[in-house]
Amino acid sequence: MQALLGERRFRVGIFSWLLIGVLSYLVLPWFGLEYGLFDSTMDEYWDALGWRSHPLSLGIPILLLLFIPFSRPGRSRKIEGRLLVVLALAITIVLAADFIIPNRSMGLGSGVILISLAALFSYGIARLGFLQGDVFISGAVTVIILIISVFVFYPVLQIFYKVIVAKDGSLDPFQFFDIVSSFGIGRVVLNTLYLAISVGAATTLLGLVFALYSIRSTSPLRHLMRIFYILPIITPPFVVGMSLILLFGRAGVLNDILMYFFGSGGFFIPDGAAGIFERSGYIYGFKGIFLAQVLSLTPVSYMVIVGMLSAINPAMEEASLTMRASRWITLKKVTLPLLAPGLANAFLLGVISSAADFGNPLVLGGEYDVLSTEIYFSIAGAQLDFAKAAALGILLLVLSLTIFLIQKKYLSKKSFVTVTGIQTSGNVTPLPIRLQKFLTVFVCCWLALIGILYISIFLGGFVRQWGADYTLTLMHHKELWSNGFSSGGWPSLTNSLMFSFIAAPLTAIFGILIAYILTRKKFAGHGVIDFGTVLIFAVPGTVIGIAYIMAFNTAPIELTGTAIILVITMIIRAMPVGIRGGMSALSQISPSLEEASLLQRAGSFKTLRSVLLPLLRSTIISSTAYSFIRSMTTVSAVIFLASAGTNVATTYILSRVESGDNGVAVAYGSVLILTMLVFTLLVQAVTGRSRIEKQM
Amino acid sequence: MSRNSSIKVTLKNISKHFGSTRVIDNLDIEFKAGTLTTLLGPSGCGKTTLLRLVSGLEPPTGGEIWFGEQDVSDYSATQRDVGMVFQSYALFPHMNVEKNIGYGLGVLKEKKEKIRDAVTKVLQTVNLDGYQKRYPDELSGGQQQRVAVARALVLEPKVLLFDEPLSNIDSKLRRSMRDDIRNLQQKTGITSIYVTHDQAEALSVSDEVVVMHNGAIEQQGTPRDLYRRPGSAFVANFIGDSNVVDGVLEVEAGRSAILLGGTRIDLGERQIDNLPGKIQLSLRPEMFQLRETGDRERHVVGTVIHSAYLGAVTEYFISTPMGDIFTTSPSSDGQYEKGKEVFLHFHPDQLIILPPARA
Repeated sequence: MQALLGERRFRVGIFSWLLIGVLSYLVLPWFGLEYGLFDSTMDEYWDALGWRSHPLSLGIPILLLLFIPFSRPGRSRKIEGRLLVVLALAITIVLAADFIIPNRSMGLGSGVILISLAALFSYGIARLGFLQGDVFISGAVTVIILIISVFVFYPVLQIFYKVIVAKDGSLDPFQFFDIVSSFGIGRVVLNTLYLAISVGAATTLLGLVFALYSIRSTSPLRHLMRIFYILPIITPPFVVGMSLILLFGRAGVLNDILMYFFGSGGFFIPDGAAGIFERSGYIYGFKGIFLAQVLSLTPVSYMVIVGMLSAINPAMEEASLTMRASRWITLKKVTLPLLAPGLANAFLLGVISSAADFGNPLVLGGEYDVLSTEIYFSIAGAQLDFAKAAALGILLLVLSLTIFLIQKKYLSKKSFVTVTGIQTSGNVTPLPIRLQKFLTVFVCCWLALIGILYISIFLGGFVRQWGADYTLTLMHHKELWSNGFSSGGWPSLTNSLMFSFIAAPLTAIFGILIAYILTRKKFAGHGVIDFGTVLIFAVPGTVIGIAYIMAFNTAPIELTGTAIILVITMIIRAMPVGIRGGMSALSQISPSLEEASLLQRAGSFKTLRSVLLPLLRSTIISSTAYSFIRSMTTVSAVIFLASAGTNVATTYILSRVESGDNGVAVAYGSVLILTMLVFTLLVQAVTGRSRIEKQM
Repeated sequence: MSRNSSIKVTLKNISKHFGSTRVIDNLDIEFKAGTLTTLLGPSGCGKTTLLRLVSGLEPPTGGEIWFGEQDVSDYSATQRDVGMVFQSYALFPHMNVEKNIGYGLGVLKEKKEKIRDAVTKVLQTVNLDGYQKRYPDELSGGQQQRVAVARALVLEPKVLLFDEPLSNIDSKLRRSMRDDIRNLQQKTGITSIYVTHDQAEALSVSDEVVVMHNGAIEQQGTPRDLYRRPGSAFVANFIGDSNVVDGVLEVEAGRSAILLGGTRIDLGERQIDNLPGKIQLSLRPEMFQLRETGDRERHVVGTVIHSAYLGAVTEYFISTPMGDIFTTSPSSDGQYEKGKEVFLHFHPDQLIILPPARA
């Protein structure tokens, strides 16, 4: 009876996908619409239908009808499977050729047909015994490989392709070397490396200090460390840079104070005498970027090290103490060596994040060029040098991919902290007293600095002109929020909310699906998904940005300027969160639960729905929430892709910074931070535990 | 639930490789219809892998799996019609007992009342009726184990698989649980395969035992066969305790005798497959009676090097010309101090001659 049931489902499945394919051919546009689906006239829509404008495409539904025999039983499984696979592949090739050769862009209809072909292909490989004949998982694998190919591999390959195409369109295989050896590029690369390594070292050191303080000190101040979890999540990456300008910029508070005392006509300077201090832009350049990145990246390294530190078995330190070692010696000879892999991990993470950071160098860079901003300036504004952007993108990609692979290969398994399952007892060894005192002072200073930074952001939105006129005013907020919903900050904010709202659940679902497939299934093609995931984790946002512009600006897949491309970018950018969340949650669930479900005759879809999803519920909620926040605050990739109609909050703020409206920018930034803070606290209240914090 | 349509399970030339490790290589085995067969062996011998191959959870690298007259090699775990009791029980933590057991029936779209009746019936068989609304974390280990058995039984599978089902249960309860499993299997007559590394469990629960070693079958037979006629030194050591010693076989005019460390033991006309010359013997610890007196020609003499009083029995290590021998003897037979000279009496029929080692 069971076999019959499965057989029926199989037929119905094939028939449904067939129907979807043919229907979408009949009623959905075959070609891409010039003005998008919702802004086209009836005539344009009519003309974009395949059977109206392009009789040749009639071949596709006719080929699709060849599948009809499969919706009835008969035939051996192997023959059936092979026929399904061959047919689906053949039609896909015909369909692709129909767009690539005349260079026309695909429409919604042809996209849906492609998906139904992928589904039919999955039925075929399942019939051939792929993944033990599981249609649902075969389908998921096919779709994920399709998505990764189109939205990760294809754009990245486009970068490599663009770099060998000269401006006049001819092929120039050695152009890459011409570009990277041209004047100034060497300096940019060195700048990037120097900055990244300094930031990596500084954040690791600070992260260690704060981690020791929060786990091992007895001071009540250690509980304040919790803000480290929340602040970096909810703060858009460039906001720290903006607040540094408010404090240390040319018109910043520090300059004001120094001018007041030491400038010409200052408090300590006799009337008429020249001041010994001039306003200066000392914050712009290396110092500023360094400070901003250290401020925003230290929490990340802190969390890595805290994780490692709290996993150390206290008995090891107690053993050291019983052997007459002092707390200092124990710290030096036992604790720190045990932490070494965590420290290395934190350092590499700091290096990658610094090299990939785009917002802070953009705001604070000045004369100090780094790869990420140089990529942006190669195609923003008048230059439009795609080959140069591509070459720089490759450099940045190779840099971060190398570090990521080092980290993955050498550090992921090199943990001295062993999980034995034996309940460890014993108390953690507190810090040496003098060290704790010193750290307390240091932590106070740090927290004070952070406090001042955030206060300046909120105040900045309420003063007329920072640096010149400190009268309190609502004008910036009024300009943003009270000029109707179609101007000021509203359009970009609603766009951000809408796109993130669509992207977040999709990120969580695909993240868990990819994590599930990677950890629980073995199949041919596993490596493709694995490599795709590595790329998703390692590719800096700026590189994704230029890659998407190069890949999706022209046929056959023309998406730039649409909301779809922004949503997709947000999904890909937040995907590491989803995958990591899924992986850590799945590692808590014994595979035998799924096996028990399979042996109870449930297919893997039913198993996912009835066994795994209920157990993963809180992970799904926190993944969704965190992806939402990530999407709301992301900037590096979307800045390349947002257009007038699809501006989002972060790109709007940056555009106001560029036009010098710092007041408006800061006002908007503070609203964004507050919104995210409220949202985070709400989600934490719902999930009961601070799960978002754990996922960072 | 009893039925007479039990099937045999046959694995033909089956292999399972993980990368370059060959966990199981070209193995043939048959599990008789309606019996409970135990796969016994040290950890890493491939017994769990073999069980998972039968379940369909692990696809074989090569070979065929037959349920009765049906080739199920291409069937997934879902299609194979097997029930399995996991080592960890794998009860769904978010479902109560009734939902856990009724899960499979729900998948098959059975009616609600029918599911409820089936669950009640199967809970009665495992003596847990009334626990329907409890959640797994509200049950003791033994109760969880019985729910897992009930869940495996409820779909009336063709084959029942047990993966070390008693390893998480304390030793006193284990004894009664294994009797329960034995009774249940005999009542239902479902062909069952049972994996364990505990030889006492294997002997007590099974119709047949398969001893596995390094991915190959050392010996298959009834518990009694395996104990009394072990096919190799490994089996002799693994099933019960055993002293494996060297001896020399002499055959003369239909009568045979064995030289054991200088002592000649006459075996009379006992049929022996081994060729005359060097052989290996297995001596069970309980076959010896220790005496202070004896015949130096006919009995082995040794010196006590260690003794341990365990209540009912006393264990001795005795140094003899054929090597150090481990024996157990009833404590009521008297105690022998360290350094004491003893005679080892035994009946020649109890000597187990191991077959010549396979090439």
